[in-house]
Amino acid sequence: MADSISDFFERLGERGYEPLLGHMRGAVRFDVRGNDGEVDQWVVAVDRGAVTVSHGSADADCVISADGALFERLIDGEENAISAVLRGALRVSGDVEMLLTIQRIFPGPPSSQRTTVGQQGGSQ
Amino acid sequence: MTTGQVQILNGNTFVVSDDRGDIQASSTDPTGLFSFDTRHLSRWVLTFDDQRLTALSTDDLQYFESRFFLVPGTGTVYVDAKQTVIRRRVADGFQEELTILNHADDPIDVKVRIEAASDFADLFEVKDALEKKGSYSTDVADGRLRLTYRRDTFVRSTLISASEPCQIDPDGLTFQIHVEPHDAWLTDIEVSISFLEAGQSEAGERRTALAWQSPSPATDMAQDLRSWLDETPRLECEWEPLLRSYRRSLVDLAALRFSPISAGGRSLPAAGLPWFMTMFGRDSIFTSLQALPFSPELAATTLRELGLRQGTRFDDFRDEDPGRILHEMRYGEMTAFEERPHSPYYGSADATPLYVVLLDEYERWTGDVQLVRELEYEARAALTWIDAYANLQGNGYLSYQRRNEATGLENQCWKDSWDSISYHDGRLAGFPRATCELQGYAYDAKMRAARLARTVWGDPTYADQLEKQAADLKERFNRDFWVEDGEFFALALDADGAQVDSLTSNIGHLLWSGIVDEVKAERLAQHLIGDRLFSGWGVRTMAVGEGRYNPIGYHVGTVWPFDNSFIAWGLRRYGFKEEAAIVAEGILEAAEFFDGRLPEAFGGYPRDMTKYPVQYPTACSPQAWSTGAPLLLLRTMLGLEPVGNNLVVDAALPRTIGRLELLDIPGRWGRIDAFGRGRVDTLLMTG
Repeated sequence: MADSISDFFERLGERGYEPLLGHMRGAVRFDVRGNDGEVDQWVVAVDRGAVTVSHGSADADCVISADGALFERLIDGEENAISAVLRGALRVSGDVEMLLTIQRIFPGPPSSQRTTVGQQGGSQ
Repeated sequence: MTTGQVQILNGNTFVVSDDRGDIQASSTDPTGLFSFDTRHLSRWVLTFDDQRLTALSTDDLQYFESRFFLVPGTGTVYVDAKQTVIRRRVADGFQEELTILNHADDPIDVKVRIEAASDFADLFEVKDALEKKGSYSTDVADGRLRLTYRRDTFVRSTLISASEPCQIDPDGLTFQIHVEPHDAWLTDIEVSISFLEAGQSEAGERRTALAWQSPSPATDMAQDLRSWLDETPRLECEWEPLLRSYRRSLVDLAALRFSPISAGGRSLPAAGLPWFMTMFGRDSIFTSLQALPFSPELAATTLRELGLRQGTRFDDFRDEDPGRILHEMRYGEMTAFEERPHSPYYGSADATPLYVVLLDEYERWTGDVQLVRELEYEARAALTWIDAYANLQGNGYLSYQRRNEATGLENQCWKDSWDSISYHDGRLAGFPRATCELQGYAYDAKMRAARLARTVWGDPTYADQLEKQAADLKERFNRDFWVEDGEFFALALDADGAQVDSLTSNIGHLLWSGIVDEVKAERLAQHLIGDRLFSGWGVRTMAVGEGRYNPIGYHVGTVWPFDNSFIAWGLRRYGFKEEAAIVAEGILEAAEFFDGRLPEAFGGYPRDMTKYPVQYPTACSPQAWSTGAPLLLLRTMLGLEPVGNNLVVDAALPRTIGRLELLDIPGRWGRIDAFGRGRVDTLLMTG
């Protein structure tokens, strides 16, 4: 499994509190399929914004599955999760609201990082 | 909608057919069975011994059910109609009950056939006549016909089956039937949609993320409509046309409810029927505001669902910023493959401040402080967006300029057509554009958020800061936007900060927002009911005498009922009760000409010239914020205003209306009744 994916989940676990997940209570499991067909599983458990990440199988309210290449594009901001779901490239089962919530942690496209139109305020 | 077209719907699943119940769509003809912005049937033709049928009558029983009475043959005279064919259609997915009645004294043996096909067009493709990029397949197995479209991992299918024995081939279903004299034959035909291919688990289908919203059975829908009507306030009135408009609005609003799966069965208003049965930030918020005194739950769901989808990052393709409220959500193929940015698209400059306005207004009506606490983060992010990411001119005014030049929206205010923002001499303004009503909304959002910060969030420092910013904005706005010689507010400031000096209906929204200095308000009220803006039916989007004025120009001269309902609210806010009553009366009288259903817009011709309001041709009816207009006008005429735990009533009704009672108005007071009697002599005011 690519290091970037492990890094992403490890950094997410280190955040502790994530305000973008402030309404969320439950667990989302990411099933990431590698080139060898092996499925690597990550569980992101959230209690009103408090994030705990674990590696390995566990029950979850929502399961999101994708191949490794797609998942790398998601965490790089090159891919949009909602479009990918509509396309059938990203599969979801369980609580759909959690997909809408958890996808907020993915970044925007690197090429979009604050293009300047007129004078801008600072970032949040 | 062309004459002779019939539509039924359930959420975002709808069928548009001809008056025989047949569908014969071409690539650009917008008929068919649609679901999640994809056409699932483009051909659906019934024949009787290879002959087409003729419609005797069509009943649109409910918005989710219709019935077609047909006879064999396509001749002009029905001399030999010994059989009747009845198609009863309900929007539960799509179910058709087909009945053949034999009125003859002899038995009949006939071939009944339904031809079926689908082009799986995206709604956007139907609009723009684009080519498909994927491949089609058809298979017959397990007693059903399956039509499938596939492009990479994107799969959409239509499944067709019948309750009676039939031969199924790739192009349709054939029934060889025998009907005894004076007897009947009946079959149920079920059409369902799928996002999977043959062989994949159907059981999991409802659970996949694409089943965002699952249609409910028609029996539930009938019950649901009854309880919706029971729960909304009752209107008693001496003026019959208003009763009709009110009833029409409530039923249409019921049809326009859209329930995203994340909402747990709760609904919010979609923008319009049938092509805009989706979440729109602006339309859902404005309609929720209009409907607050009648159905406050719509506002709660709108706030929750828009909050869940609030922007969190910069994405130029989607015009997304942190804190920004979405403009439009779509589910079709072009959105899936990022050929359109609607996943969701964020290019709206007003939805974000209006989100905060709705949150406060909702609490004032319902006392639901829990939701205000729950959405504190979202409200603060929205307020941050205004100053941090929407100050594109660098002068402290909210402005817009799209970053998606290919498929984004040029105008991100409600007047979103290409020529809506022009100077008095007709030139178009450059970008970024800071339209005036946006400043009003931003002001109102800050003032209202200050109240919430002080009373609910326990943050008086933030409240002080917001009030200071709002006061500063108000002062600058009244100086920078005021057109001295015309004595009104400019439509916008252009890229150089210069005034876009047209007189438009936007000044009415400014009154609604409260940003207008008291001393300037009377002049605005005079403009709004003066000859240049007021047509006799309502306030024109742009005043007569402006360079681009055109009585049938979409945003440059037509009258929009939704616009007028907020203008009336604005007039009331500054104490111009009589003027508000004049606007209300004009719009409600116009509604009479449309059988109680106000169109999106009608012509700005003077009333004494045409005698009736000339409808602007649009594909979408009913439209949510036009449906909401009579509701907000009732509120403004009765002068309903929540104050603390009480509802203050201060009626100012036009004489035409006579006595009016609105009973069981829901709110933090429980249920309360409001009464009024028409006393405003509108002729005296405008004459």
